[in-house]
Amino acid sequence: MEFVESAIGLNNVSYCYPSASEPCLKNVNLTVEKGKFVVLMGSTGAGKTTLSLCLNGLIPQLMEGEITGQIRVAGHDVRKTAVQSLSRVLGLVLQDPETQLIGRTVEEDTSFGPRNFAVPLEEIQQRVNKTLGKVRLQGYNDRLTEELSGGEKQRLAIAGVLVMEPEILVLDEPTSELDPVGRSEIYETLDHLRREKDLTILLVEHSIEEVIKKADEVVVLNQGEMIWRGVPTELFRNIPLLRQFGIKPIPVSLIGWDFYEKGWISFADIPLDILSAEHLIRALLPKHGQLIEKDRPRKLEAPTTTKSIAVQVNDLFYQYNSGQPALKGINLTIKTGEFVALIGQNGAGKTTLAKHLNGLLKPTSGEVIVDGMDTLQYDTSQLSKTIGYVFQNPDHQIFSVTVEKELEFGLKNAGFKGKEIKERVDQVLAYTGLERYRLVHPFSLGKGERQMIAVASILVLKPKLLVIDEPTTGSDWAGVQTMMTLIRELHTAGTTIIMISHDMDLVSQYAKRVIVLKDGEILLDGTPQEVYSNEQILLDSAIVPPQLCRLYSQLMDILSQETFIESNEFTALFESGEKTGCL
Amino acid sequence: MSIEYIPGDTLLHRLDVRTKMVGFLGFIIVSFLFQDPLYQLLILTFTGLLAFWIKIPLRKIVGMLFPLIPIIISIILITGFTFAPDRFDRISSQAILFYALPGERVGATVGGFLMGATFILRLFSMMIISSVLTLTTSMDEFTQFFQKMKVPVEISMMLTTAIRFIPTLDKKRRLIIEAQKARGANFNHKGIGGSIRSYLPIMIPMFINSILMANSLSMAMLNRGYGLTRTCTPMREISFEPWDYWTISFIVLLLTLAVFVRFILQLGIL
Repeated sequence: MEFVESAIGLNNVSYCYPSASEPCLKNVNLTVEKGKFVVLMGSTGAGKTTLSLCLNGLIPQLMEGEITGQIRVAGHDVRKTAVQSLSRVLGLVLQDPETQLIGRTVEEDTSFGPRNFAVPLEEIQQRVNKTLGKVRLQGYNDRLTEELSGGEKQRLAIAGVLVMEPEILVLDEPTSELDPVGRSEIYETLDHLRREKDLTILLVEHSIEEVIKKADEVVVLNQGEMIWRGVPTELFRNIPLLRQFGIKPIPVSLIGWDFYEKGWISFADIPLDILSAEHLIRALLPKHGQLIEKDRPRKLEAPTTTKSIAVQVNDLFYQYNSGQPALKGINLTIKTGEFVALIGQNGAGKTTLAKHLNGLLKPTSGEVIVDGMDTLQYDTSQLSKTIGYVFQNPDHQIFSVTVEKELEFGLKNAGFKGKEIKERVDQVLAYTGLERYRLVHPFSLGKGERQMIAVASILVLKPKLLVIDEPTTGSDWAGVQTMMTLIRELHTAGTTIIMISHDMDLVSQYAKRVIVLKDGEILLDGTPQEVYSNEQILLDSAIVPPQLCRLYSQLMDILSQETFIESNEFTALFESGEKTGCL
Repeated sequence: MSIEYIPGDTLLHRLDVRTKMVGFLGFIIVSFLFQDPLYQLLILTFTGLLAFWIKIPLRKIVGMLFPLIPIIISIILITGFTFAPDRFDRISSQAILFYALPGERVGATVGGFLMGATFILRLFSMMIISSVLTLTTSMDEFTQFFQKMKVPVEISMMLTTAIRFIPTLDKKRRLIIEAQKARGANFNHKGIGGSIRSYLPIMIPMFINSILMANSLSMAMLNRGYGLTRTCTPMREISFEPWDYWTISFIVLLLTLAVFVRFILQLGIL
């Protein structure tokens, strides 16, 4: 029996959600051997989550629908075993940790699983302590779950599953809402777990930069079909294939691909990390490189003169009701038409600062002036006509039965009438590509489209300034591209953009100015090049600069003064910039 | 009434939840045994001492009483006029103070007013004693009490989960309000129709989010083996300590004493 050997065995599995016309999984065949670390990738709607739910029987035991084929997990036939019994064999960690935490305190939560299996109390206590140690939450036993940080919550969710001592761990995008520190904490935990015990891991993930070295295999799903599987390096060196699958390439590999296309290096030499990229460039530069002009003109130079001031923040202090300071003396001027990125760790004060701009929060002391209006004298509904604020989670605002009605909400609040409303809605629907969903119920659309609706419902107000809080959380690469293209267009049209993001690659690609916040203070403020060249200061505030910037700083001795932030800046060293398409 | 548990380390905190429930029950019995306001005053003093012991903000409780003054006055008036003299055993209680209507109709009895005072004092001591109970007993202990009393596991699970999700839902509510405000929503409409309409943008996302959360919560619970067996290991085995036995003996003693006073000595009645 081949199934006894493998941890996971899917044989010709197809599944169709009850109301859907198209099957969500189509004839998937997949075997995962014991002790392997497999990454499951693919664009949104490819069936990754559906597949994970099939593995522990939630499909079809909780969610109905039509399933065919055979699924075996560690020797159990999933369709004949209750979800609850399977949970001792296969632990599934879902996307949102918030709804997975059942207990009020950390200990109460972690012990929930074993208690259901009537494990004796003494053993539960031992297991809880051991598991909390594994996810590096030791000593947190009596902490309240609601007071944990995002990363801690996610690790607790993993602990809640691990404590049942499963042989297989399946994680569905466990890091999508975390900052870089939280992310690396999760990956370290996974790595640790894998080394310590012979755990089989199946990880659903969008970005792979962090796990590429650790994963044994990558499986790519597309429209419910398994279209590729193999060694990660094989996939990540093949840039055209990645583009086809809608997976984000690793930045340094783009440089390598360029060299490969020129025939300078072999496929296997395409670098996937900074170190090999550095060696490669050092080796190739004498042979193929051009003389470096020390004073290369910057192409991103924006004229800074005579622009009016969009945002003026003077000596802003803000305290929570508990008396804890959140912002400590922020001074900031943002000119009309700038594209500013606010970065920093979770809890650094990014969102708190942004909420002052549209008056959701009022300064404890100091002043915030937006487009000539002191936010103390205007309330949010008045400011909303000038400054738009797009929140991270679109589901917090959608309440209408059609996309069109959702867009009308802001306009009605602002006092617009009949024809004007219609004109503006038409305009924005066309602009955001939502035209074909006009009469569709927003919740029947995917997360990416809902995010777009949230943006559109702000754009109808034609704000002069736009604050966007994590516009790409949980989107796949194609979704990120669509959203960022839209934001760039708005910026080109003259809208001042203030973007909060954890995605350093996005920030370096799109923003013209980066502001780093740490503990409620501005740590750094400048162009992406200037900010990212301060690697040490950034590391202190737990920010890892984009890969290409780190590559640049390794090559500082042979390159020009300005930090490179795009792959074509590197390739331009070798030929006069005929390379197209950065990232 | 505040139901927030205040952690502490007094004897009242350490007592087993069952002991406290016995005490609570005993207290109610004693309180209903006596009709004489003087005895009620004694009971109230006792609860006051308990409250003082665990440092309940008494001022807060007094503050809660102010809005009740009209009710207090009306209770005394109603009992004063409605209790007929023949409902009282003691002669002094049967005395009629005055008549509200001419022709010796609707008389106000001494006993009636005293009974009103008893009701009020009883209400006060009930409020204090139940605050004492909830403030010194954590939710976890109550859950275990339910378990010991053989309340079905589903119900105690439901209660604890509901309590766990209160802060989460409150956070959601705040985020939703902020998101709608950012789109210019104004929540100060005039009239009932206006205010209902202005809350739709909050209530609808709130319901949708709750349903989504409930869905993934149910998945998470199944993932962790909930419902496989009908039993589950109690978190902390609650057990009687010496002080529990002492306290229960004390409660029983007091109860016996109260019964003796009330039924053998025939005291404390009106």
